[in-house]
Amino acid sequence: MNTSKISYKKPLLETPFHERTSEHCYANDWYRWAGYKVAKEYSSTELEYTSMRNTAGVIDITPMHKYDIKGEDAKKFINKLITKDITNIQSNQVAYGIWCNEDGMVIDDGTIFCFNENHFRIFCAERNLNWFSDTATGFNASVEDISPSIAALAFQGPLSCKILNLLKVENIENLKPFHFNNYNIENHNVTISRTGFSGDLGYEIWCDPSQAIDVWDSLFKFNRDYKVLAAGMNALEMVRIEAGFIQPNVDFMSAEQALRPNRMRNPYELGLGWLVNLDKEYFTGKQALIRHKEKGPEKKLVGLDIEGDKPAVGSVLYDNSKKNQAKEIGIVTAAMWSPVLKSNIAIGFVSKEHYKLGSNVYAEIYHPEELDYRKIWAECKVVKKQFFNNPRRNETPAFT
Amino acid sequence: MKKFDVIIIGGGHNGLVASSYLSKKGKKVLVIEKNENVGGLAEYAESLNCISPIIKKELGINVNNINHSNNIISLEDNQNHTILSDKNGKLSFVQTNADENDQKKFLSIINNYKLFSKTLGAFMFQKPPRVKSGKRADLFQLISMGWKIRKLGKKNMRELLRVIGLNIADDLEDNLNSNNLMGLLSHEAVLGTNLGPRSPGSILTLLYKQAINDNIFNLNKIEVAEYINQLEDCCNKNTVEIIKSSEVKKILTQNNSVTGVQLTNGEVFESKYVMSNADPKTTYLNLLGAEILDTDFIRRTKNFRNKGNVAKLELALENEININNIDKKMNGKFIYAPGIKYIEHAFNANKYNKYSENPCLEFYVNQKTLSANVYYVPYLINTNHKENEIIERCVSVLSKFIPDMKIVKQKLITPNKMEEKFNITGGHWHHGDLEIDQLLMMRPFYGSAQYSTPINGLYLCGAGTHPGGGVTGINGLNAAKKVIEDLK
Repeated sequence: MNTSKISYKKPLLETPFHERTSEHCYANDWYRWAGYKVAKEYSSTELEYTSMRNTAGVIDITPMHKYDIKGEDAKKFINKLITKDITNIQSNQVAYGIWCNEDGMVIDDGTIFCFNENHFRIFCAERNLNWFSDTATGFNASVEDISPSIAALAFQGPLSCKILNLLKVENIENLKPFHFNNYNIENHNVTISRTGFSGDLGYEIWCDPSQAIDVWDSLFKFNRDYKVLAAGMNALEMVRIEAGFIQPNVDFMSAEQALRPNRMRNPYELGLGWLVNLDKEYFTGKQALIRHKEKGPEKKLVGLDIEGDKPAVGSVLYDNSKKNQAKEIGIVTAAMWSPVLKSNIAIGFVSKEHYKLGSNVYAEIYHPEELDYRKIWAECKVVKKQFFNNPRRNETPAFT
Repeated sequence: MKKFDVIIIGGGHNGLVASSYLSKKGKKVLVIEKNENVGGLAEYAESLNCISPIIKKELGINVNNINHSNNIISLEDNQNHTILSDKNGKLSFVQTNADENDQKKFLSIINNYKLFSKTLGAFMFQKPPRVKSGKRADLFQLISMGWKIRKLGKKNMRELLRVIGLNIADDLEDNLNSNNLMGLLSHEAVLGTNLGPRSPGSILTLLYKQAINDNIFNLNKIEVAEYINQLEDCCNKNTVEIIKSSEVKKILTQNNSVTGVQLTNGEVFESKYVMSNADPKTTYLNLLGAEILDTDFIRRTKNFRNKGNVAKLELALENEININNIDKKMNGKFIYAPGIKYIEHAFNANKYNKYSENPCLEFYVNQKTLSANVYYVPYLINTNHKENEIIERCVSVLSKFIPDMKIVKQKLITPNKMEEKFNITGGHWHHGDLEIDQLLMMRPFYGSAQYSTPINGLYLCGAGTHPGGGVTGINGLNAAKKVIEDLK
């Protein structure tokens, strides 16, 4: 990391795309992510969201943490780290995984890129160097933080493949979901993976910081016909809620960061039980997870379809339609009005008795109206977290 | 492939105690020892002072006390040495420079510490309770711990709680004027730990050591070799199989349970129960392998403080040794730690992985030979000790008190050498520091206390467990009892 750029006057780093992102960012509204400055909103969150749902949006995700795992035991290391079994992973494949501590509580999630048997790369939102290094004890595997050496863009939306096609990125339409490969965008070597946070067709583009501006400019080249927009963190938050992706330290506290033990969550509580393979010989947290599974989760992170159109941000959930008889049974962690689904959706924790799909719970929504709150008692239906899951996301060849 | 009920890795004295006990209970036991002789680190214990009466009773061991002359002699550069005599635990001054007030206060401090250490001592020989286990026995033990402290009375309980986290220098400076006396007591507090007199917690270490030894200055002795011999006999009588000069390479496991051990020569022995007399780091990181342990657990293993800093110096001189200004009959334990400042300065070097310019010494004299514990000589990583330099420094200290030193033979055993010979990571006497977060139910660390480990069928029985180092044998006995309990 080039720390010489930081001073007390300028405490945040700029990403290699900053020259462009700052031009686009009329709102001058920045978000602090891992010591970098990224745009919260460029001009209008709704427009940026719309670009991702209708054409394509570009998000600067350079601050993502990137760790290279190299060595003879690289695969064994990954298998000890994450709860899923990746024994059969092939080169150029991407795995999504979570890692837990010894109590079976989730620390973080991330995507794991397999270059070959002896070389993996992990991308995640939180810092994990310490955890990875300690996990590597006893393995012939090195862990290196290579975050500053790679610039990254998420290019998400139904027309993302079409635009890459127009840029003559050869054979991009045949890249399968959760795979990656090396490509060429207008004479720049990049790595493109078919991964993303939007629940729709989309790619993530990884390149050398020196080529960042050129790659950025290429993506906007066909803007006369296809209105590609730079999208900020607010718009990303909207699409990820619709897609039902959860975020550490938003939907749950990372076990490495939570101060209160009862704030930590196990995979079964987060609805990520499908990522846990208890048949695997060994991984951190296995013994605890066997117990957690047996016991069943006390509460669970579920999707909520809420009546009305007022977002249930920060709402408390209750079990009864009558407020005076109601008992608290949960809390909303993320909520929004979904423009594309035309419904009022949320993600939240609901206790044991009510987390079954189809149950009814009630949210008390505090809706601000001109310096006053209107309290709404809204009925919610428990549904799957994946509100938006377009078939385009998994089709190969991709939609052009 | 041979099968055993229990395999014990390491024939240190705790391993021998455990194997004797288990075989007495009718178990088929195998002990694997790396060196040619069993006994392990006990070889370096000058002579034993602290095997517990419980061991003597359980194993029918009968070792007589040898009558050392019961003197503690604190040497002073100006040759005005202080001599204390100990008669059945009752201390009195034979000779000193300190004024009467100081003498009185010194004895009263020691009496106070004795009282407190008795309170702690009540838990020394039991298995420490498991916090939050929900079991009645554990809860009862915790309550009884609290009650023992409360029973001291209001004034003494307050005093105990005041000093328990305190550094010894503060307490001594508050009460005494004589540098020599302060150095003497500080010496007992810091020897064998990674603490200086001004490090917080140094009083607790003193109380703890006193509780184990039942005496602040470790004076009632028995012969080490005799004790180890009797233990070995006890093993042989009960058909324990002991393999010497063989090293365990790996503890074998399957599905989080022990299946046996493999030797460096490839030989495999099967057993569902394995006890490790090795220190926790060696057991977990080398013998078991970090790959099958949770990352949090590995963190705690790595963070276990186990850097030894005491070296053993053995000198043989041409002539019989006479100490200046000390009557020949006044033999006993000699201590050179002439003041808090001196020890603290010696400790400063240790903090930066250097050996002290001015080492502190504790030594015994036997006609022409002298054997000393020298500190601080820290365990070094990646570099070697300049042994001759260390010996020179010690000799220059000793020559202040021993006229005409003509050395015939000299031998220095540094923590690194101890590590090499006995496979103790860090070369620490006690396998790990005796400090508040590494004691009782926290020893060696969370997830591994009460002799059990995260692996089913694997147990610890070395000094890394409660009650720590010192040749008590309690570690081995308690661990063996735990195995018997789990075997049922």
